[in-house]
Amino acid sequence: MKENIMQLESLTGGYDGKIVLKDVNIDIHKGEIVVIVGKSGCGKSTTLNYMLGLQRPYSGRVLFDGIDIWRDQKTLNAARRRWGVLFQSGALLGNYTVVENVMLPLMEFTDLTKAEMMDVALSKLEVVGMEHAAYENPLEISGGMQKRAGLARAMVLDPEVLFFDEPSAGLDPVTSAELDETIQNVNRSLGTTLIIVTHELASIFAISDRVIMLDPEEFGVIATGSARDLADNSQDPRVRAFFGRKIGE
Amino acid sequence: MNGKIVQNGDKITISGRFSVQDLAEVTAIFEKTIEKNIVLDFNNCISLDACIAVRIWSIVESRRSAGDTVKFQGTNQDIQAIFDRFQAIDDRPVVPVEKHTLLYNFEDIGDKVLATWNTVYGLATFAGKAFIALFTGKVRWSIIAYYMEQSGVMAIPIVITLNWLMGVVLGYQAGYQMSQFGGELFMPALLAYSICWEIGPMMTAVLVAGRSGSAFAAEIGTMKVRQEVDALEVMGFNIYGYLVTPKMVALFVVMPLLITAANFAGMAGGLTAGGIFLKMPAVVYIEAVGKALIPFDLYWGIVKGFFYSTIISVTGSYMGTRVRGGPASVGKATTSAVVVSIFLVILVDALLSLLFIHIRPGLSI
Ligand SMILES: Nc1ncnc2c1ncn2[C@@H]1O[C@H](COP(=O)(O)OP(=O)(O)OP(=O)(O)O)[C@@H](O)[C@H]1O
Ligand SMILES: [Mg+2]
Repeated sequence: MKENIMQLESLTGGYDGKIVLKDVNIDIHKGEIVVIVGKSGCGKSTTLNYMLGLQRPYSGRVLFDGIDIWRDQKTLNAARRRWGVLFQSGALLGNYTVVENVMLPLMEFTDLTKAEMMDVALSKLEVVGMEHAAYENPLEISGGMQKRAGLARAMVLDPEVLFFDEPSAGLDPVTSAELDETIQNVNRSLGTTLIIVTHELASIFAISDRVIMLDPEEFGVIATGSARDLADNSQDPRVRAFFGRKIGE
Repeated sequence: MNGKIVQNGDKITISGRFSVQDLAEVTAIFEKTIEKNIVLDFNNCISLDACIAVRIWSIVESRRSAGDTVKFQGTNQDIQAIFDRFQAIDDRPVVPVEKHTLLYNFEDIGDKVLATWNTVYGLATFAGKAFIALFTGKVRWSIIAYYMEQSGVMAIPIVITLNWLMGVVLGYQAGYQMSQFGGELFMPALLAYSICWEIGPMMTAVLVAGRSGSAFAAEIGTMKVRQEVDALEVMGFNIYGYLVTPKMVALFVVMPLLITAANFAGMAGGLTAGGIFLKMPAVVYIEAVGKALIPFDLYWGIVKGFFYSTIISVTGSYMGTRVRGGPASVGKATTSAVVVSIFLVILVDALLSLLFIHIRPGLSI
């Protein structure tokens, strides 16, 4: 039995009383790459929000390393130091430069000197191929560059779990493949657990250990398993429809 | 058009290909048909424009509800699918459309009360958390300095200009009225009181709410839309400590200074009005003001400044954090930030006035 790092336990939640997820159970194992897929509006981003403690569930629990993240604010904060997140938009702060954005978590949580922080941040930017844009304003660089800078910021504290909301949306296939490779390297070298929301079949097959599929009519998980297995053996028409597309569509 | 519509007794034959330009002709044919039992023959019809189809459908529906029978004949798969879809839409339960009437009905009043209560409750909770962060969190001097410059230093010209103008206007109005019965010598005292007790602090609060309260809401709201707030939160930042308390501290410091500047500017306005309109020498004016005011009157503006600044910074930030969804809601947030903070400032002003009457030395009722 693999060790669980993140679990949703019969979680029910939504917005303003409207149910999006109903009685959902998800286990994420230590060190694996999990991809969450499903139709637009099925609740993938919402699931991430619950894992990140940005929304409080109506009922059910969110466990990180076996502990309920909502036990108290301290627990939640402690958990968050061990996570990194890349948001759909990159979410870089507009009033700092790219490298300052990457330094933000260091400034907040370490007592490194300014020069040391700069070195760490620049080295992370180099990992994602962004060192040339370190001193730019994040609002004045392209969407793909914002994403990569966001990734550098997410990785700067070497988190145990990395969350990605559609990392490759809006990226060209080459950049997207490079990003996949970067992500895999992080997983391999540091054993980081990765939880990724994506629609890209190519990257799902390339990087995922396990796929979790959500469906809006069921308010939750309809299938879970390796991408190959689901694609080849699933009888569920909704799963077949998803994998039935040609790669790259 | 290369579609054809022909009526022959109870049979309407539709053939060829129709498009939206043929709408009038199709409608006319149906109106001409007075038979009670109609057959629509689509055998030679290849495709229908959605607008033509919906017109036919609505005529058929109204005929049927009037007791006529209408039969479709020879519809191909595509055309049948169009009509099936209309049928499905008609079968769906009707969602009541929200009516916008000038007068609220009771339900609306209930909703408004509930929404207001939610705002009050949310604001109070938010303020509580902000104060906890203020007293327990890090002090971020560089951010505070930034907001002191934005909300304080840069507001000085407009605050001084407007309050000086208010002083001129009030001085002239009061002086004119009082001169009717020879009381223009009381103008300086009246003016100094109204400026220091009410006009100076209030005008400054309104200006700061408009300049900075709205800016705070817009700033946080935009960050919210761009998921920057979420990002800060999951990076483990206390968003109250990071986004709200620097604004609170900055306004708390600059607001009393702005009000003090406003008070002097207003009284200078009175001096100007007195000199120009009442031919009152400056010495006389200044001496009269000096006799009327006690230091307490100036401190009072500072006290008000502490209250008003907190209202404006907390309300502005709160409205920013309430932004959900897209950029349009940022506009709404800035509007509510200004409206709600001015409302609260006036409310608190009323309460403070009650207190004031009891604690100011030399004033009794
Ligand atoms: N802030 C919100 N307020 C109200 N409803 C919301 C909000 N965010 C999402 N929803 C609703 O919750 C449901 C799930 O949304 P979510 O953003 O999780 O979908 P998603 O799977 O991430 O979709 P996409 O692939 O388009 O990003 C949708 O029906 C959506 O309308
Ligand atoms: Mg999403």
